[in-house]
Parts: sequence; C-alpha cells; structure tokens
Amino acid sequence: MAIVNLTNVTYKYPLTETPALKNINLQVEEGQFVAVIGPNGAGKSTLCYTLAGFIPHFFKGELSGMVEVAGIESGKSSLHEWVLNVGLAFQNPFNQISGAKYTVFEEIAFGLENIGVPRDEMKVRVEEAMKLTGISDLADRSPYSLSGGQQQRVALTSILVMQPKVLVLDEPTSQLDPIGTREVFSAIRKMAERGMTVIMAEHKVEWIAHFADRVIALLEGEILLDGTPREVLTSDLLAEKGFGISRYTSAARKARTLGLWKRDYLPVTLEEAAEGFAPSLSPERRGE
Amino acid sequence: MNDRLSFYRKKNSPIHALNPFTKLMLALALIIYGLSGDGLWTATIMVGLVLLPLALVAKLLREYIGVAVRLILPTAGFMFVMQSIFIPGGTTEIFRLGFISVELETVQRSYLIASRIFLFISAFVLLLLTTHPSELMSDLTRRGLPPQFAYVIISTLQIIPQMQAKAQTIIAAQRSRGLDTESSFFKRVGLLVPLAGPLVFGSLVEVEERAIAIEARGFTSTRPKTFLRDIPDTPTDKVIRWALVIFILLSLAARIWQS
Amino acid sequence: MNIEICNLHFTYPSGVQALRGISLTIEASEQVGIVGQNGAGKTTLVRHFNGLLQPTSGEVKIGDWDTRQYSVAKLASRVGYVFQNPDEQLFSRDVRTEVAFGPKNLGYPKEQVQALVTDALEMTQLSDKTETNPYDLSPTWRKMVAIASVIAMDTPIVIFDEPTTGQDAASVARIANVIRVLRERGKTVVTITHDIDFCAENFERVIAMSQGQILLDGRVNDVLGQEDILATTYVDPPQLTRLGRRLGFRETVRNEAEFLAVLHKQSL
Repeated sequence: MAIVNLTNVTYKYPLTETPALKNINLQVEEGQFVAVIGPNGAGKSTLCYTLAGFIPHFFKGELSGMVEVAGIESGKSSLHEWVLNVGLAFQNPFNQISGAKYTVFEEIAFGLENIGVPRDEMKVRVEEAMKLTGISDLADRSPYSLSGGQQQRVALTSILVMQPKVLVLDEPTSQLDPIGTREVFSAIRKMAERGMTVIMAEHKVEWIAHFADRVIALLEGEILLDGTPREVLTSDLLAEKGFGISRYTSAARKARTLGLWKRDYLPVTLEEAAEGFAPSLSPERRGE
Repeated sequence: MNDRLSFYRKKNSPIHALNPFTKLMLALALIIYGLSGDGLWTATIMVGLVLLPLALVAKLLREYIGVAVRLILPTAGFMFVMQSIFIPGGTTEIFRLGFISVELETVQRSYLIASRIFLFISAFVLLLLTTHPSELMSDLTRRGLPPQFAYVIISTLQIIPQMQAKAQTIIAAQRSRGLDTESSFFKRVGLLVPLAGPLVFGSLVEVEERAIAIEARGFTSTRPKTFLRDIPDTPTDKVIRWALVIFILLSLAARIWQS
Repeated sequence: MNIEICNLHFTYPSGVQALRGISLTIEASEQVGIVGQNGAGKTTLVRHFNGLLQPTSGEVKIGDWDTRQYSVAKLASRVGYVFQNPDEQLFSRDVRTEVAFGPKNLGYPKEQVQALVTDALEMTQLSDKTETNPYDLSPTWRKMVAIASVIAMDTPIVIFDEPTTGQDAASVARIANVIRVLRERGKTVVTITHDIDFCAENFERVIAMSQGQILLDGRVNDVLGQEDILATTYVDPPQLTRLGRRLGFRETVRNEAEFLAVLHKQSL
C-alpha cells in the first residue's frame, strides 16, 4: 500500500495569483527513495512542505485535493501528528540549529526530548544516528562553531534520530563538498533499505542516479516526468526545459549524433558512460 | 564562540553538584535578605561572608572576583559616585567642590543602593558560573516553566553572537561596494539603512525557517517532555531549599515587624 | 591591473593560521578559478584583495596600490567583490536603486551611473525586473541582483565567492555568461568555487589550495591532470575529465568539446 498518497493536489500561497502546485498526483510505496528534481521555483520546496504537513498547518493559503502521508490526512489532523510520522529537513542549515542547545549531542536529542523519549533510549538513538551520518566526532562541539557542511549533517541527523516513517528532505546536501554529499546520500540510502520512505528534492543528478529508486521532475508546479532515474534523467525533455543534467548524459547525446555512442539508452553515471563509450574507441586504444 | 555569553565554568565542586533550582533559591534568598534590611553594611557583609566563601567552595573565586571587578564594580561604582554627587538631601556636609556639596547621608544612601546592586548581580553571576544554562532551563521547565519561555532565553543568548557575526559580514559586503564607514557622523547616520536593512530582513526569513525547524522537531508536541540531562535533586537539595524558604519568610517577617 | 601577492601570511585573532606563505601574480584580464575544500583558505585569500583583511605579514598589491595603505571603500574602485549570500547586502526598495548603490559610492557622474546600471542589469538579465523589490524575487534572482550591483561598479577586477552554490542550471548558465562577457571586456575575474565542473568550463587558470597554501597553479588542463595532488585537496576532477581518464585518454579533457574531440580522434 502506498504510504504517500496525493490526489489532485493544488496549492496557492497566501497573496499569490498562480498556484505553486498544480494538480499533483503522487503515490509512493513504503521504503522507496524518491528524488525530486526541477529548476528553482518549480515547486520542490512547496511539495516538501505539503508532504511534511507544514502546508496547510503552518503556511496558510488554499490547498485542495487529498494529501495523505503515513496514514494521516491533512485537514483531519494536527501538526503534532505529522511531526511524529513525517520528518522534514531543509536547505539552510544555520536556521535549523535550534539555538536551545550548547552541544551537537544535545542538539540532536532536542527532538527526542520534545516527544518524550526516555533518557536511556534517547542516548542510544542519538549515538546511533550520529554514527550513521558520520558526525560522532562532533558530539561535544557547539552547533554554532561548525562549518555549513557540518551543520547540514547535524540538521539531517536531528531529524533522522526521530525515526519518522517518511523522511522529507529539501536539498540536504547544498553546502556539502562531493565527499560529504556521497556520504549523506549513502546514509539516506541505508535508511531507505531499513524501510524508511525518503522523498528528497535535490539538484545533484549524478548522485541521484546512483542512489535513488525513482525520480520525479517538477516544472512550474506540475509533474513533468516520473520514472526510474535512467528514464527521467536521460529524457530529452529535461534538456529542452532547462533542467540540470549529468555531463555524461549530455556528452553521450552529442556523441550519438556523431555516431560515437551506439547504445539505445543514454548514461547517467560514470560507470554507464565508461561502459558505453568503450566500444567506440579503436581496439588498440582500448587497452591503454 | 557561543561561550562568550555563557558564564558557566565546569568544575567538580559541591556547589556545582547542587540542583539549579536550589542555587536559584539561594540567590533569591540572599537578594531578599539584602534588600529587606536597612543596615548600611548588610549587602556588603552578604557578599563578603556568603558569596565569596561560596565562590571559594565552587573553586571559582578567581573567576568570580574577575567578573565582579570587570563587570559589576564599574556599574555599581559609577552609580555610587553619580548619586553621591548629584542627589541632594543630606545635612551633614563632608566637603564642597564649587557648587557641588557632598553630604554624609547621601553618600550612605548611595552606598546602600550600590552595594545592593552589587549583591543582586553577583548572586546571579555565581549562579551562572556554577550552573550550565541548559541545566538551569531544563530544570525550570521540568518544574513548570513554559518551554517557550526557556527557549526564548537560551536561544537569545546564543543568537546574539551570531547576529554580531552577521552584522560584520554585512558591513564587509557594503564596504566592498564602496561604502565609506570611516566618515563623519552625519554620513554615518546615512549608513544605517544599508547595514540594518539586510540584518532585519534576513532575521525575518530566519525566524520563519527556525519556527519550522523546531516545529519539525516536535517543540510544541503535547506529549510530556523528557530530558537528556539527568539533573540531580538530592534530599540535601530539598533540605537546603526548605531552610532557604524559612530564611526568606523570617527575613520578610522581620522587615514587616520592624516597620 | 595586476594582483601581486608576496609571501602572504595571515593568522586570525583566534590563532588559526589561515594562510601560510602565498606568493601569486594574477595578470590583468586573467580568469582564475580557486578550488579547495572548506577551510583551505580560499575566502581568506581573496578577502585580502580588497583590503577586508590585512596581511599578518607579506604584501598584497592591486596595481600600484599596497592594500595596507588604502581603505576598503577606496579599493572598491579597483576590486569588486560579490559575496556568497545576496541577503547579506541587499537593502533597497527596487533593483535599480540597489544596483546603483555601488557606482554612486564610487562617485561616477550621474549619467555614467545610469549607463553602468543599465548595462549591468542587461548582462544579468534583470532588465524586466528593475522596479521590483529585491526581496520579492526568488533567491536565484536575488543572487543576480547582487552580481549586477558589483558589475555596475565597473572595476578592473571582479571577485566571485561561491557564485553557483544553491543555483539551478539556468542560473548557473547566466552566471557563466556574465563571466564570459567580463572576459571579453578584458576584466580580471577571480572565482572561488566548489563546483569543479563549472570551474573547468569557465576558467583558463586554476589554483588549488589546501591548508593555507597553494598546491597547484596553472592552466586548467595541467592542474586537472595532476590527479594525485588534486586528490589531497579533496577536489574530484570534473565529470568528463574522470570519464576521459577512465577511457584511457592520453590528454586531460576539461569540457564536452574537448571530450568529444579526443573521443573522435581515438575512435578512428
């Protein structure tokens, strides 16, 4: 059964004319890792807020259609119920530091204190979550003394530790370098394998291709494409509409017109590209 | 850098081991006693006979005196001098400097006020030196202080240095656009908009995002909260607190009986 | 106008040694990308170019000016600096006024201010948004306003601090276009970036920093070819550079055109 269920969802922020989301229909199965791509302003953040219940429980405006996530239906529930079941982390790490805590360990425990997790369990969960995201060594640091990338991992860990059924992430790697990005993606992948459903707005196509099960392309508040990473990320439509695409895909697309890419699909990752281009090289070059 | 506004110094001492609420009561008891007596030297004696020994026991005598000298003494001293000189009303003139006459009664009253201020602030300084702010707030929240109230206090303390850092960046950005910040006073008034504008607007965005962030972590959850820190509340604490309550009541009673 | 840096050391008041002996010359009209992981000293270095930071020891000269002898406001006539976060500088009621702030501060005559503003707005594709309040624009467009407000100062040297962070593909293309126009006009451009693909595609010279020192400095293909040293700065080579290497290309390629050219040659 789908854990995320959006039917004909349209949403308009207060004081705006055009809807930020238009007629969205989306079903996500439990344990799926779904990436959401799209230009800035396409509605990625709005979709995230809707999935996490902040629309309509925090942002007013007009919401129509049915939003049901982890068995909770918007309009028939309170934000508390959403928060217990659906986790949200977003882009700007600095604004996600609570300001109420003096160490990273306390910061990550903050959410567990709020929802009344017993102390012994709390400590175990915080330690486990920090291990998963690779920040155990930051436990005693002040959250404010950290770099943007470190703060971003702390923000993510602070939500992971609450063990939501559905995890909603809005560009959680924007401040991370390539190594940090890979680590965060693989931590999130691990959570999905343990049964957590993940929906993640993100620009970094190469990593999406590696880790996500499914990709949704949003444009002007509508779902433009929805499918496997390869189907979506190599679609000609993406390049036409100005989405960010992998350099491997666009190089192979050009190469195909020159007769230098002979596969019937386009690559998204380095491995696919290397494998696909190798036969185009003359035999004596291949061994080098 | 967050520690700039936190006085807390970690030590292994009987004072540190007390429950934060006990220490808060102690500070209040000292203040109430100091304010309720008319004695000229009451507040001074409280500092000398109670706060200084307590600071010694807490292994923080040097830090306590440091804060007192750098922070409290200038304020109290300034008030003492200004009031002595400018508030008239005494009859026993000590000396006269031109049109200013300094009378014994005024000096005494000024000393009383200044020494009470000194007591008032330094009692809290000792509390903050020996109590981690998180523990103080967690303990008070557990005793029924609204969590929102505790949050506002702690986050404000933490955010001030962040705001200062942000203001520095804004100044750097505007100077890089040719804004001359080393000019005359009148020009400086005109600088306010380019400097304060981004700070205010940025804060508005921040407040909304921060509200979402703490909401996402169940801040307003209706479930009973738990606390990461185990804050000890021993029978000794309870005995001390009862003793303090009796002490406060007695000193208030004495005050009422006297008048 | 050259940037000349001689044995520059810088230590923050906290005691952190951020720069340890940097010597560097950037010639007029050069386009330089600076890469390296967080904490490598990139921002600390470029903040010396317009006097926001003063050397602990060593010397920074912008043309014939020693930065120690000139205020930041003065140096702003030679070095424009686009900060990373536009929200830390925008304050005007409309885009046009915001962009005019810098050139006005530099004391250009009124007509010239107008011309510079119009030109900067065109270059950043903001011409249809001149009357909008910057804070009604999306963060992506606010970034363009911040860029325009520095371009309009018409300085011979322009610095960008992480221009592509948080930007989408369209915005990155706009920024690349601004850098191209600046190159055509003979401006010196120095850009700090995490985005190695963007760096390889838009800059002829690349400097890789690590722990307050310059590890590599040279033509982009030569720097990207030094894979071992580059790895110590935690910078991954660009995607197509990696692909070329995986395919056994002898040359280091840095962008799509070069990749396809080598692929074509080697497929024969």
